Amino acid sequence: MDGFLEYVPGNSFLHRLNPVTKIAFAIMFAIACFCTGNLVFLCLMLALGLALAASCSMMRQTLGLMRAVLAFSLVLAVLLLLTTPKGDLLVELPWGYIGSDSILAAVVTVIRLEAAAIPLFLTFYVTKMTDLSNSFVKVLHVPYRYAFTFASTVHFIPVFMNDMRGIMEAQTARGVEFDQGGMVRKIRLMVPLCVPLLISSVRKTNSSAIAAEVRGFNLRTRESGYKRYPMTGADWAVIALGVVVLAAAIALSLL
Amino acid sequence: MIEIEDLTFQYRESDAPVIEDMSLSIPSGAFAGIIGAAGSGKSTLTYALNGIVPHCYPGDFYGSVRIDGNDTCDTTLTDLSQMVGSVCQDIDSQFVSAVVEDEMLYGLENYGVPHDQIEGRVQEALEAMGIADLRQRLIASLSGGQKQKVAIASILAMRPSVLVLDEPTAELDPASSRNVFALLSHYAEAHGTTVVVVEQKIALLSEFTDLLVVVEAGRIRFAGAPEEVLAHSEELLEIGVNCPRCTTLMNRLAAGGLYAGPVCTDVPSACRALCEVAA
Amino acid sequence: MIEFLDVHASYDGTTPILKGIDLTIEDGEFVAFVGTNGAGKSTAMRLVNGLLKPDRGAVLIDGVPTTQLKTSELARRVGFLFQNPDRQICSSTVRDELLFGFQAVGRLDDEARRRVDQIIEEFRFDGDADPFLLNRGTRQLLALASIVVLAPPVVVLDEPTTGLDFCECVKVMGIISQLHRAGTTVIMVCHDMEVVADFAERVVVMTDGRVVDQGPTFDVLRNRKTLDEADLVPPQMVDVSLLLPVMEPRFAGTSVATANTLAEMQAAIEDVAAGGAAAMAASEKDALDDVPFQGSERKER
Repeated sequence: MDGFLEYVPGNSFLHRLNPVTKIAFAIMFAIACFCTGNLVFLCLMLALGLALAASCSMMRQTLGLMRAVLAFSLVLAVLLLLTTPKGDLLVELPWGYIGSDSILAAVVTVIRLEAAAIPLFLTFYVTKMTDLSNSFVKVLHVPYRYAFTFASTVHFIPVFMNDMRGIMEAQTARGVEFDQGGMVRKIRLMVPLCVPLLISSVRKTNSSAIAAEVRGFNLRTRESGYKRYPMTGADWAVIALGVVVLAAAIALSLL
Repeated sequence: MIEIEDLTFQYRESDAPVIEDMSLSIPSGAFAGIIGAAGSGKSTLTYALNGIVPHCYPGDFYGSVRIDGNDTCDTTLTDLSQMVGSVCQDIDSQFVSAVVEDEMLYGLENYGVPHDQIEGRVQEALEAMGIADLRQRLIASLSGGQKQKVAIASILAMRPSVLVLDEPTAELDPASSRNVFALLSHYAEAHGTTVVVVEQKIALLSEFTDLLVVVEAGRIRFAGAPEEVLAHSEELLEIGVNCPRCTTLMNRLAAGGLYAGPVCTDVPSACRALCEVAA
Repeated sequence: MIEFLDVHASYDGTTPILKGIDLTIEDGEFVAFVGTNGAGKSTAMRLVNGLLKPDRGAVLIDGVPTTQLKTSELARRVGFLFQNPDRQICSSTVRDELLFGFQAVGRLDDEARRRVDQIIEEFRFDGDADPFLLNRGTRQLLALASIVVLAPPVVVLDEPTTGLDFCECVKVMGIISQLHRAGTTVIMVCHDMEVVADFAERVVVMTDGRVVDQGPTFDVLRNRKTLDEADLVPPQMVDVSLLLPVMEPRFAGTSVATANTLAEMQAAIEDVAAGGAAAMAASEKDALDDVPFQGSERKER
């Protein structure tokens, strides 16, 4: 029973890294993916991402994520294919043509999005939200208020998804057929369900704000955190790797 | 010591007060239960104790609520919450962490408990709720009863002098409900904590509380030891509070002149009384 | 008729929740499922209306496996009331909410509207009220009404009285037992043993994904051993009836030892007390009779 973006306990190398390192690396990794269109480099990045996922036995979650990103990036790829007439003419279109370079651009888009997404999402699977926000407060001196707001937003995603599942189940029991027909039909059926979801979310966020307040939310400072988040040699090594990857991508794009 | 004096509260958006002229004092160390029909003002009463009313909800507040002498209107919510620990009705929205241990730390960190005391407090609270083995578990992977215990333990770690719980066993089966009450009552006795619990399960209240408060339409209808309050089983039924069956049985026998002893609140006491009836 | 044939089920295909359930529920029965949280009761309910399909074995509704029935077909046969009414209610007025079920299965006609008006009357709802502004108990009633309005031959209720106060509970159970009397099959998960004792005809006890006992309500509820194993406590009157004859031999063999309800127990105790009083009166009478007999000594003239 693991949900979307929910922490999966473990003790792998990635689990033990400083949360700040993980986020920093994931961001550099993603920027690197967007810096270059070199297909070989992007494939290497994708392989590195998958290796990271394998190192903390998160392949199943990662493959699930990749499927979702694939659906999204395919739409983009098709759009690119139809709207950027480049390279050798392959298929004639009323408004232009599909060229060999269009195909290349489409493939690059898919691989780029897949590669960029993996470390970002992986970070959430191997890092507790509380550690992430606390380390941001401790290491990066981010005001606690913002860190907490971000953390609780992410914390609520699985709660809301669970609610949505429950609501859809209740409607299925009344004969609403979510499992039949196309995407449009499904979305049309789901729209009325946003009302109960919205109402329960407003209630939940309200009572969670009060619950945090009566547990001394307002008193919290940078010194409050019990856990320390020291940057170790491994952390600096990973950040260095991130810098190297980013530099390589920039170098490739300039060449 | 909790003193409520002539309390009246009306939410801004409603057209009638939810609590009207309520006066009640709960002695230190008492285990108090609040029961009443839906909409009778039970939850608002708990808000008045932990200061959520008037601090978080706009409305008209008359009278006063004092916790160990501190007027809730003149004390900030942050200061109040160090005296009064609250376990919400919807515990899923109370949780701020993914893992039990982090949930336990949250309040302690915020209130600046010295770091060398934190470990001891966390361990003590977990043991009090019998969940020391769950410390590293994901909250999402726990059962309803375990989650409830985590929610309570995370508040107990802050060592409040008053603990307020709103329907802590609503989602639990009878065995876990009873277990939660037993653990709470044991902890409260050992630490002298005052407990105020809103609950619909009358059998649990009559077994564990020493002060039972029946609320009807924003007013206190009965307040006293369970044996005193439950003597009025027929009147209680009229206002939507059903006594335990064995209490009703003994009260009916008493009305028929067959039994003259004290009110029975649970099965063992009823059985003992019935043996006397037979003798 | 609903049949569970060696049903194994899980949510993720790996962690088994139900481990081989065999069960038959006849038309028109009122069956209560009891057991602790996590015993698999709610999972069993989800299987009844096909929200979950078995990993192994089959659930048959009138002889047809749930795997072969379409969602709308299942919804027509089995109405399902969830524990949390807020997950079900999604319309902006009470009337629309009641019409929604007809809309979902594509039967939104004048007949449906007449039926909705009739239910609004029966439940004494305000048809134009906003469901989200109603209190918890009324929302639960509305959720129940939106099932009743479709008149399914089977209703499944997952803890219908949780979170309700006594009056609301009486109201909800009143409607459910009315449905049952009208011939609807009622299948209910319930933690409140008093409610189970008052309404169910048959009880199924579950522990750890298995059925450990089933049978007529009081046969099951008086079986202290299985209830203990399932971590359940019998309703208070049954508890008293089981305990008293052990504590006080005078109650053994009397109607106290078989009383199940409050009224039965009261009558039984009154009987014993009166029997005791009668016996006492009788022995006192005997004693009175004895006195002259013993005391009469022939006196010398």
